[in-house]
Amino acid sequence: MHRRLPLSFVVLGVIGAAFVALPVVGLALRAPWGRIVEILTGPGARTALRLSLEVSLLATLCSVVFGVPLAWILARGRFRGRAVVRALVILPLVLPPVVAGVGLLQALGRRGIVGSWLERVAGIQLTFTTAGAVVAATFVSIPLVVLSAEAGFRSLDPRFERAAAVLGAKPGYTLRRVVLPMVAPQLVAGAVLAWARALGEFGATITFAGNLEGRTQTVPLAVFQTLQTDQEGAIALSLVLVLLSICVLVALRDRITGTG
Amino acid sequence: MPLDVDVEVGRGARTIAVAFAVEDGETVALLGPNGAGKTSALEAIAGIADATGRVTLNGRSLMGVPPERRGIGVAFQDGVLFPKLSVLENVAFPLRAAGAGRDDARDEARAVLRDVAPTVDDAGRPTTLSGGERQRVALARALAAKPAVLLLDEPFAAVDAEAKPELRAMLRQTLASFPGPRVLVTHDPVEAMTLADRLVLLEDGRVTQAGTPEEVRRRPATRYAAELVGTNLFTGELVPDEEGVGLLRTGSGELTVVWPDRIAVAPVPDVRATLSPAEIALHTEEPHGSARNVFHGAVEEVATVGGRARVRLRTAPPLVAEITPGSAERLGIVPGREVWASCKAVEIRLMVPGEEPDTL
Repeated sequence: MHRRLPLSFVVLGVIGAAFVALPVVGLALRAPWGRIVEILTGPGARTALRLSLEVSLLATLCSVVFGVPLAWILARGRFRGRAVVRALVILPLVLPPVVAGVGLLQALGRRGIVGSWLERVAGIQLTFTTAGAVVAATFVSIPLVVLSAEAGFRSLDPRFERAAAVLGAKPGYTLRRVVLPMVAPQLVAGAVLAWARALGEFGATITFAGNLEGRTQTVPLAVFQTLQTDQEGAIALSLVLVLLSICVLVALRDRITGTG
Repeated sequence: MPLDVDVEVGRGARTIAVAFAVEDGETVALLGPNGAGKTSALEAIAGIADATGRVTLNGRSLMGVPPERRGIGVAFQDGVLFPKLSVLENVAFPLRAAGAGRDDARDEARAVLRDVAPTVDDAGRPTTLSGGERQRVALARALAAKPAVLLLDEPFAAVDAEAKPELRAMLRQTLASFPGPRVLVTHDPVEAMTLADRLVLLEDGRVTQAGTPEEVRRRPATRYAAELVGTNLFTGELVPDEEGVGLLRTGSGELTVVWPDRIAVAPVPDVRATLSPAEIALHTEEPHGSARNVFHGAVEEVATVGGRARVRLRTAPPLVAEITPGSAERLGIVPGREVWASCKAVEIRLMVPGEEPDTL
């Protein structure tokens, strides 16, 4: 089917597409292809990549462990203030990450309302540690798990849960054997999105956990620091993140683009 | 009674109030139009609807008992089989939930499936099954839990017409061998009357009549009941008469019927036939027309139900006719009056053994 579009729209649309595509093209064109393997396998890059993988996977795990039960409560619970809880949980999605970092410092920092107590009682310090980087990444990625899982739980016909109960299954058994397998696609989608978000996390991490090589310096932080001295090294590391982002897009293509 | 129900269930602005009781080894059909509250009543028994009132099983109150500890087996409408589990895992589910080991549960599930759904591939996913197969697996799953009570919710709802007779035969057998109280929820009078010992009629959230199919047939309390079950039913031996015509010899008189093409061997015993009361015409003088069946007898009773006069006749065989109250008055239909009743042979619907009717 042929539809005529006004020329001005076509021009603006092409500019929009080019605007999004150009940085990626720029990275690819300026990449030091000759020594990219050397850069990425160098000690600094390897440390950042390993740490990023570790932090993002742990953050994803935390997001799923705490986010899925939360999503269940939001989807199935009937209590006052549910809308407020949902809004609060989604807040990290729209909050500037640096603000999230400042907030985390006030809550979990050495002099934070919970952090000071944590250090005194349990001897745990989160700031300037890998655990702190995981906390920062979890904070920004948990909403993605909650949103996706809640949508999954809501779309589930409650008759399945009722049937399981009538058949003698306690709620926990029903959840494990009937509900979670049925919402698995939404859980996986939420986890993948959360992982991608955790992988790219910068502002909250650098504010809350600092920028310590080998402890809190994930790939985005390493890119930022390398850029001051070695532009080609920063480009090489950036390309890794571009590649991983494209992988996420491919994995979730039906869900994100809305087309087969 | 082993199962005693007297509950109220809120459904939006409406309240459904249902009371009935079921003996061990008895099947009660909750029969009513869609939206009458049948499923709500069933959910109240199973403990998955908020209900007030009383549900007792063998003297023990089930109110406040969570569904997983009630011992009520339900074969849900459309099955509600778990899509991510295989057919076998579905049937083994209640056994596993009760703590049975995986292999023991599977062996037992296989045994139940062999009885109830022998043709179903138990390794497949339930999403690939036909409506009738889903219903069989749902029944197997309900039975595997070894419940004290068996509830069937619209077991024929998603089943093809061709698959119904076989499913009905299996259900009849399964119900007969289930020792506890059995409740069948349905909107189909044929299912209710062929499978149940007693009927509980539900209309708009209220029980309007309860009794054996014969009692309800003889004295339907409402217009709905009359339409549903107020049909003349005959049983007898079918013998050939002239070309294309047969005689149904009941114990109390003969009817002329259209010979069913599919029957080659005569006579056929145990043939059932139905005749709608509305198809019977009443006359004060002997009629001479195309109607092959003419009966003579006295009016036994006249009852006006829902704007129709139901006339019970002492003919051979006994008949119930339905006419407008105006006609009844014009013809002077009162108890004791001698009248003629007539109907055409084509109006009498035959149910030959091994086949099942679509409607009564």
